[in-house]
Amino acid sequence: MAFRIGVDSGGTFTDVCLLDETTGRVSVWKLPSTPNDPSIAIAGGTREILSRFGGDDSSEVSFFGHGTTVATNALIQGRGARTGLVTNQGFRDLLELARQRRPHLYDLQADKPPALVPRDRRHEVAARIHFDGRVERAPDAEEVRAVARVLGEQGVTSVAVCFLYSFLNPDHEKMVAKVLEEELNESRRLNEERGAAVFITCSHQVCPEFREYERLSTTVVNAFLGPVMRGYLENLIPRLTEAGVQVKPHITQSNGGTITFEAAADQPVRTILSGPSTGVVGALETARMVGIEDLITFDMGGTSTDVALIEGGRPGATTQAEVHGYPIKVPMIDLQTVGAGGGSIAYVDSGGFLKVGPDSAGAEPGPVCYGLGNEQPTVTDANVVMGVLDPVELLGGRMAIDRDRAFAAIEELGAKIGLGPMQTAAGIIQVVTANMARAIRLISVQRGHDPRDYCLVPFGGGGPAHAGHLARELAMRRILVPRNPGILCAIGLLLTDLSHDFSLTRRARLEEASIAAIRAALARLKADAEFWFAAEGVAPERRALSSTVDMRYAGQNHELNVAVPDIDDDAAFLRALAENFGDVHCRRYGYVAPEEPVELITFRLRASGLVDKPEFPTGADAGSDPSAALVGYRQVYMPETRAFAEPSVYDRERLLPGNRIEGPAVIVQFDSTTLVLKGQNAVVDRYFNMLLSEGERQ
Amino acid sequence: MSAPDPIAAPDSTTTPDPIAPDQITVEVIGNAIASIAEEMGETLIRASYSTNIKERRDCSTVLFDAAGRTLYQAEHIPIHLGSLMGVVEEVVKRHPVETIVEGDLFIGNDAYTGGGTHLPDIVFASPVFYEGALVGWATNLAHHADFVDRGHKHIFQEGLRIPPIRLHRAGVLQQDMMDLILLNCQVPRERLADFRAQIAANQFGIQRFQALCNRYGMPLLSQVFDALLDYAERRMRAGIAAIPDGVYSFQDIFEGDEQPEPLIFKIKVKVTGETIHLDFAGNPPQVQAGLNIVHTALLATVYYAVKTIADPDAPPNAGLFRPITVSAPEASIVNASAPAAVNGRTNTCQRVVDLVLGALAQAVPERVVAACNGAVVAATFSGVNPRTGAYYVYLETLGGGFGARASKDGLDGVQAHITNTSNLPIEGLEPEYPLVVERYELVRDSGGPGKWRGGMALRRQIKAVDHDCWVTVRGSRLSTAPWGLFGGHEGGRYRVEANPAAPALVGGQGDLVSGRSITITTPGSGGYGSPGDREPSLVFRDLAEDRISEAIARNMYGFEPS
Repeated sequence: MAFRIGVDSGGTFTDVCLLDETTGRVSVWKLPSTPNDPSIAIAGGTREILSRFGGDDSSEVSFFGHGTTVATNALIQGRGARTGLVTNQGFRDLLELARQRRPHLYDLQADKPPALVPRDRRHEVAARIHFDGRVERAPDAEEVRAVARVLGEQGVTSVAVCFLYSFLNPDHEKMVAKVLEEELNESRRLNEERGAAVFITCSHQVCPEFREYERLSTTVVNAFLGPVMRGYLENLIPRLTEAGVQVKPHITQSNGGTITFEAAADQPVRTILSGPSTGVVGALETARMVGIEDLITFDMGGTSTDVALIEGGRPGATTQAEVHGYPIKVPMIDLQTVGAGGGSIAYVDSGGFLKVGPDSAGAEPGPVCYGLGNEQPTVTDANVVMGVLDPVELLGGRMAIDRDRAFAAIEELGAKIGLGPMQTAAGIIQVVTANMARAIRLISVQRGHDPRDYCLVPFGGGGPAHAGHLARELAMRRILVPRNPGILCAIGLLLTDLSHDFSLTRRARLEEASIAAIRAALARLKADAEFWFAAEGVAPERRALSSTVDMRYAGQNHELNVAVPDIDDDAAFLRALAENFGDVHCRRYGYVAPEEPVELITFRLRASGLVDKPEFPTGADAGSDPSAALVGYRQVYMPETRAFAEPSVYDRERLLPGNRIEGPAVIVQFDSTTLVLKGQNAVVDRYFNMLLSEGERQ
Repeated sequence: MSAPDPIAAPDSTTTPDPIAPDQITVEVIGNAIASIAEEMGETLIRASYSTNIKERRDCSTVLFDAAGRTLYQAEHIPIHLGSLMGVVEEVVKRHPVETIVEGDLFIGNDAYTGGGTHLPDIVFASPVFYEGALVGWATNLAHHADFVDRGHKHIFQEGLRIPPIRLHRAGVLQQDMMDLILLNCQVPRERLADFRAQIAANQFGIQRFQALCNRYGMPLLSQVFDALLDYAERRMRAGIAAIPDGVYSFQDIFEGDEQPEPLIFKIKVKVTGETIHLDFAGNPPQVQAGLNIVHTALLATVYYAVKTIADPDAPPNAGLFRPITVSAPEASIVNASAPAAVNGRTNTCQRVVDLVLGALAQAVPERVVAACNGAVVAATFSGVNPRTGAYYVYLETLGGGFGARASKDGLDGVQAHITNTSNLPIEGLEPEYPLVVERYELVRDSGGPGKWRGGMALRRQIKAVDHDCWVTVRGSRLSTAPWGLFGGHEGGRYRVEANPAAPALVGGQGDLVSGRSITITTPGSGGYGSPGDREPSLVFRDLAEDRISEAIARNMYGFEPS
């Protein structure tokens, strides 16, 4: 027997999933996280799930995948390495100057995020490469050595190296890195000094693309996180081995694919969105099982909500985002995050408007209804007061709920704006829905996609309770609620392909004369990918490649990502590429300029090592009658009618394929509640997912 | 027209009017309006060609209702509101509403007849029609790096003046107009491509605006627009009410490259309950230099300044203007009449913000900042690029110090107040222009000493390569410095130097010969509170990070190196 294991390590819970490759059976285990050393819960959960569901021989773990927030948390909390920087003479302040814009247009008290390397640890070296790659002045080894010695005295454990135009000519960065390695690490090894080696990272390795500030920022974030991730993994690996994991473990990166622990230790910046991207993959694969390839994922947690758009089974991708104020330029799933979750606090602002978030009551003290000291009403409190969430207990009885306390807090809030408590609770839900709808518009409408063509896939603790309202706000007609929305991230880990994104900036005109250069760039990326496949041990039949190129009109500076056609004939290839570009440009900006020359800028290749997608257990059609799962009735406030109704409450565990539920209805399971609105109906599919559709509107 | 969403149904229990939108609906639609304006801006930036727009984001977008009231200004450049605010009014003045049809597109830039504030800011205004009726306006403005190497005695010297005229008539491009405009531009290929991006941005805005009409219907939307404006007004009034009533005066000295003779600027701010009046009586007459502010630019500047104090998060729409009144003498430097030149008006506008904050420091010391850089230092390099043989214009405005605050230091090296443009990345600049950036850094000792230190200035050094170019650098704070507050000291001054040492530019202009460079040092900003009260650990940090010299540490802060 062989097992695949996925572990999603979050702030509150660590979710572990085990897949029996022979039977397709999925087992899940949820345990409290151990924030001081997350590896304790990860290894503990792994051991636990193997002993409970893994039979006798626990050594046959064939895959171990892990989603983590270690990198994100270190960045948010500023708890990274003591980092130094080496850059060109005259440019050490670029890290602070950034793009010269201030953080808030009108708020005079706003601050920039703190520079991750203070000014005295930012060192300059006289060296210069020009825009065409020509070297005006090479760095002097003695000067670099002196800088290295100062960095050593400053006690850095990590150094970022970033020089102008390194994406064209990396020689200076390589030379500086080599000297730093000699000065900071080799002498230490010769002297057999203890302690971890200094982490050295170069911009041409992390982000070989133009715009020096964004490249610098990405490189510095990587340096800042390097020793943290290395320490984390060094701690985790022996514990996992002990727990019975012998295979090379993998970690999810922000592009939705996995990489080895070694790769993650070199480029931790690629794991910034490790957690949320895993959920996107889980949602994508769940939807794919039932033939849905166009979807919008909706992951609602305690403090924030992440949304992403998937078209034709492919998540939208981006290569640049700002994470906690720091620009990061690596391949990422195009996620939008809003500060709106179950713990988001509702308040009345100075203009008398009801607002929700981004301040959150978090997990502790949490919503008012937890009774742990918070008195400001949250989204969860609104749901409790309206009866959407169980007014007595949550998490299968692990959490007692004080509805009266939540009611009083909401009543008090409503009194400030002349609304009754129920209207106020409904208002909180409407405002938070509007916030989330805005995030979805950014990834859909703004990118030229109509949300009505997509299926909404809610997960996380709060997604299924809000999906009905959100879908209506956006006129989306279908909602797919996965079987286990609360642990979809961990399940996603079992389904994630190994993948690596390669890129190469090679500016060329879209014309016949460039064909050799274009073909050469694509061939070079392909060779890199082949090398990577071999190193990762990906079998030939599991290898997949897809290439795109960033294109623009010569004169623009913002490229559009265009698929590279698979055509051998050069003329036809160029024509197809031009057409693809025209289509994308027209969809995005509404026009084409046929007489204008077109440029190719950055070539991109994604190499994937495909994993077998397990066939999840199915059930036979048990007919449309859901009454066997009916557990009672609950008073639920309906904003549409401004009155309480008494919809049926069903136990999700007891619902069977084919069961059909007419809204309004509430469906409860251990860590999630689904609200089916009046006019909507839910049908359980053979994988035990629920598909909600909009019936005829009355 | 579809029925309103049931979720957003009217609240019959609290309001007697059967179709009055509830506040939740107002907020939902307010979000949608905001995202339309923001997305128009992204379209414009991403599709444009010139570095000043595609990288430096020197552009803005605004949606208006049919009456020309600002519904939302996307968060780009505060002063641009001055150009956009006037344009709908001027369009309608010139073209009776009944002659405007779907598919018309107006272009304009003139400061006196086009609703603009200076000629490089070219506005595109598109009427939005729904079911045959004019329901709103999608507008945008981009600062075109063109019209360079001009005189500034009066506006006729400053570039092509365009009143609001149709560039498209019922969806058809008026090629004659386009040809006339492009012939008057020095870099026509860029202008044409940027115009296309501006048109695309408005098209996007029109489609999204119409989708909103389709979803909610105009009767509901009109009420929502009123409610959004009322909401911003309430927030501003609440913010102003928290300022103690009184009359607060302030004055400052203005000088710069274009105005070596110092001028005295003054203000009287009167706060009465929920309203505020700004009186500019006694300011100098308009000058024969590009430093004059037209009325809409003064309003945009004042609205910015008051918003920062009253409520930074109030939605940027016309409601926030209501509690604010302004008076300024006709034909003065802060309320110019034709044909006064206006090109460099941002330097003057920055100082108007300083005046407002300086006056209000007496009333709400915890909300203001000490003087910021007080200038928008603008450098223009133009010439023939030896690599392409084509004429080029490179424009950059440089940030500087942002004044110290009541409980923290100022911001180092940022754009302050009425502008917020990005820098041009070096790797974006050098491939396009025959120039090399040799330094771009913070300036030691430029942050005014104080309990809280003023933000530091920045320095940018640029070399001409393989050609001689014409350089114009314009700024303020040459002979005066940004002031501190409550015992805080002044910040560093503005200067331009040639390297190797050569005669500096005359009046901020001159030739830069091949292989030579100029160094531009922008003004810093003032400190807040007495330097003697500064936490020693902060002095130590600034010294360790070389943000202050040992001399300043010792003389200003009494710091004794151990």
